[in-house]
Amino acid sequence: MGRIRILSDQVANQIAAGEVVDRPASVVKELLENALDAGATHIRLEVEGGGRKLIRIADNGCGMLRDDALLAFERHATSKIRSSDDLLSIATLGFRGEALPSIASISRLQLDTKTDEESAGTHIEIMGGKIVRVDEAAVARGTTIAVRDLFFNTPARRKFLKSETTELSHVTALVTHYALAHPDKHFELHSATHALLVAPPVRKSSERLYQIFGGDLVDQLLPVAAEMSLEHAGLPEPPPWKRDADYKRPEPGFLRLSGFLSKPELQKLNRNSIYVFVNRRLVRDRVILHAVSEAYRNIMPPTSFPVVLMFLEMPPDEVDVNVHPAKAEVRFRQSGFVHDFVRDSLRNGLIKARPAASFLQALTASPHATSVISGALLPDVSPLPGEEGETRFAAADSEPVLVEDAADFELRPPQPEPETDKLPFSLAGLEVGLEKLTSGLPEAHDCDSQTPIEAGETEAQAPATLNGLASLKPLGQLRESFILAVNEEGLWIIDQHVAHERVLFEKILRERQVERVERQRLLMPMLVDLLPQQMVVFAAIARELERNGFEAEAFGPRTIAIKAAPIGLEGNRLERMLVEVLEQSERETQRENLETVRTRIAASIACHAAIKVNTPLDSKRMEWLLAELAKTDHPTSCPHGRPIALRYAWKDIQRAFQRI
Amino acid sequence: MSMPGVGTEQERPLAQGATMEISVSRQDLLRELTATQSVVERKTTIPILSNFLLEADEDRLTIIATDLDQSIKTSCAAKVKKPGSCTIPARKLYDYIKLLPEGDISIKLMENHWVQIRSGRSNTKMVGMARANFPQVPEFPETSITRIPAASLKGMISKTIFAISNEESRYTLNGALLILKVESMAMVATDGHRLSHVEKTGETLTNVSGEKKTLIPRKALAELQSLLGSGDDAFVEFADDEHTLFFRIGRRVLTTRKLSGQFPNYEAVMPRDNTKFVVVRSQDLMGSIQRVAQFADERSGAIKMRLEQNELKISSSSTDAGESEDTIETPYNFDPIVVGFNSAYMIDFLKAVGSEGEVRLEFKDAQSAGQMRPEDPGEDYKYRYIIMPMRI
Repeated sequence: MGRIRILSDQVANQIAAGEVVDRPASVVKELLENALDAGATHIRLEVEGGGRKLIRIADNGCGMLRDDALLAFERHATSKIRSSDDLLSIATLGFRGEALPSIASISRLQLDTKTDEESAGTHIEIMGGKIVRVDEAAVARGTTIAVRDLFFNTPARRKFLKSETTELSHVTALVTHYALAHPDKHFELHSATHALLVAPPVRKSSERLYQIFGGDLVDQLLPVAAEMSLEHAGLPEPPPWKRDADYKRPEPGFLRLSGFLSKPELQKLNRNSIYVFVNRRLVRDRVILHAVSEAYRNIMPPTSFPVVLMFLEMPPDEVDVNVHPAKAEVRFRQSGFVHDFVRDSLRNGLIKARPAASFLQALTASPHATSVISGALLPDVSPLPGEEGETRFAAADSEPVLVEDAADFELRPPQPEPETDKLPFSLAGLEVGLEKLTSGLPEAHDCDSQTPIEAGETEAQAPATLNGLASLKPLGQLRESFILAVNEEGLWIIDQHVAHERVLFEKILRERQVERVERQRLLMPMLVDLLPQQMVVFAAIARELERNGFEAEAFGPRTIAIKAAPIGLEGNRLERMLVEVLEQSERETQRENLETVRTRIAASIACHAAIKVNTPLDSKRMEWLLAELAKTDHPTSCPHGRPIALRYAWKDIQRAFQRI
Repeated sequence: MSMPGVGTEQERPLAQGATMEISVSRQDLLRELTATQSVVERKTTIPILSNFLLEADEDRLTIIATDLDQSIKTSCAAKVKKPGSCTIPARKLYDYIKLLPEGDISIKLMENHWVQIRSGRSNTKMVGMARANFPQVPEFPETSITRIPAASLKGMISKTIFAISNEESRYTLNGALLILKVESMAMVATDGHRLSHVEKTGETLTNVSGEKKTLIPRKALAELQSLLGSGDDAFVEFADDEHTLFFRIGRRVLTTRKLSGQFPNYEAVMPRDNTKFVVVRSQDLMGSIQRVAQFADERSGAIKMRLEQNELKISSSSTDAGESEDTIETPYNFDPIVVGFNSAYMIDFLKAVGSEGEVRLEFKDAQSAGQMRPEDPGEDYKYRYIIMPMRI
């Protein structure tokens, strides 16, 4: 008797379910995507027991005909694509036709659906993949799916589920992301005891962001939007002799980016707060994550990561989503192009906004501090309000941002009522600020600054920028290390070392760009002893060092003689800087590209040539430094990512002294 | 009148430090305090160092200040009623004496280190510290004293002190090297980018055999400069021991801790074949460089010197400020040459030379050191200033 047998559909589905469904959140994802693909505008989710007991999703989408509804539980049954050609341009979130049968095979599932075409709805019950009941039902248009007792027949999977709280937090995170991606749709998420998320439809992403996370986070985020035609970046067309008779030149389409990115002072220890949606599908794509890191390079420490919510839109044929069963990964047809587009758009957004760090926020925004905004971007998932104490450990790093209870737990000045929020600086300044913001907002409509703006919008909306740096008047130094300065906006504290470092860094890069690095020849060559491996590294980057102003040559087997040095580096500083660059290069396991080496060297020169802390500065020198800083592209943080200027807003000062 | 210090811990005064009472003219006292006070540390973590030590004996008042690295000891005539010593906060005393009218000032040590200062109808008490806490100041040695002409030393200091390195890590460059020979002396200073070397011949020095090289810290040179400026003594007595350098100018003695370490071999970097040269008036060159430097890069101060047929062109450009060029007409017949320099380095030299007379600029090529010197130094001075080019 042969040993090889064809598996039954039942078993095949259960195996497939292992790929698609590994936890309640994946069920939610599949069902949510179905609802969105069905054109629903109102989606309500209920979850019990972290999704193990019950996941019910009700939408007002197009619904299914009775026959379709039955067919949907066959494997590879889908309405979303028909042929393999359709795979090349997938416009829907789902397409594989695996989700429903997979879920049905590992749960007790009830489906109620009704379309406009049929007068009666359909009710289907499935138990572990077997249809046990099909009935007519009186339901409204749309589909409601209730998944109970997930994994009841796959004990192995059940065993590996995490605690209820953890599973619930995954579900909540997921729904939150989809709610962010679809601001025009109504989302609700309820647990057995309370509402976790209620987000009525709004016009703009920024409003959705405010709905979900509240003003604190919104204050920390900068809007960004960019668009680029793919016309000159498209793939080559087939040559004329291979074209069909009715060949039409494909529309190149557009690559669009919109979303929000955090100010540099908001830093995370991992990439979990970078959310990327490609054609409204949440993905974790290495190309894009790298582009994000690149955009923040030299603004943030290399071990920290920003908070980014980014929506990328591109023609469906530019991206292949059929790579990963859960569709978490995608492949771009022109990944280099997408990478550069994302990097440059984010970088420009940061340069344009020149966000100013508030003193109070800086205290809480460091990656190690806990605060409302420093946790993962998750609403609170404590199942019961009373259990907060014991469940907090599970969501330890996710501070509550309860939608229905937006009160902060932090000890911080109370947020002002939006209506009473008077901006302390002149109206002209306000308009400039607004203009800047709205022009950068995704889906921004022309917003005349004369028209009254809803209170909810104005609140967060005069973003603190560093444009005021140029108007600063230095008062003096704090311990000869920090410059204190004032302008209309409030009191500023500027770290003199990193400020100068930033100024020098950009200057050095500029000069390097045009090969105009000035160097001072040394009267007596400076001899630096190196370790053998450092000599090897030195040989590798000697050319780049030379173009940055170092003229050095080997002087014996373990010594180099420096004959010329960049301006501002003398003696020990010169030696320390050189050793630092060599050590860093040594540590880099991967081969760096030239630009990375270049910026690293520039950052190192800048750091060692900059004004040190504990250096007295006269007021002329301070004025000069502030003016130079104002001219830089990134006055927010030094090349190593530390903040440069913190602002104590006039508003906060008044509030602290109980003047308002 | 309640006695100050009553109620504090009872302290048994030391037998010899218990009393002091003198009277001194305000003019004499102020002159000596002025000469001494620059040594006193402004921000010291050791409180006693912000005090003067006053010692009265026979008919003199001796004033001592130290920051541990260096010390100044000076004295003036005084009527000593009770010999003794005390310490007084230096800055406060100096400022107060400046405000007193001419006349005699009486200084009297009271209990618990309080010091009473009376002049005319003014009466002040200041809190001093225990005299025993004041550090020991080295005594001028009895032997091996070299007499250096004061005017020559002063001239040499002013021609080299600006070239001393500010980079504290390179401590052997934090001073100038004094080279004493039997019939000449020289001083040299460098910061690694430029070097200033001055030699004075036609001197006769005592107690020098062969060549004596001494590294003098910048701070001590600055003190010497001001001590030499205020006095009119013809000679400075110089001596040293293992750790300390001593300079006696009249009744004042400056001591400074020796800088250890090897001063670089400066003779090796002196250019020998800088054959292309040009002579310009010091005043013209100074004016041109100052104008052009306004438009140099703020950080590097880089300017270009372009020598062509009978012309010296000085130019600068920066992305921020713009660009500028000055032309000085002067005979030049060698091959054209373009060299970049830090304008601040050149200005330092021209200031030291003064606006009178002409300077000679000598070059080899754009990579090698340039040399500047006064065309007619006079007074047996040989002054050379070596400056490394910049690549712009």
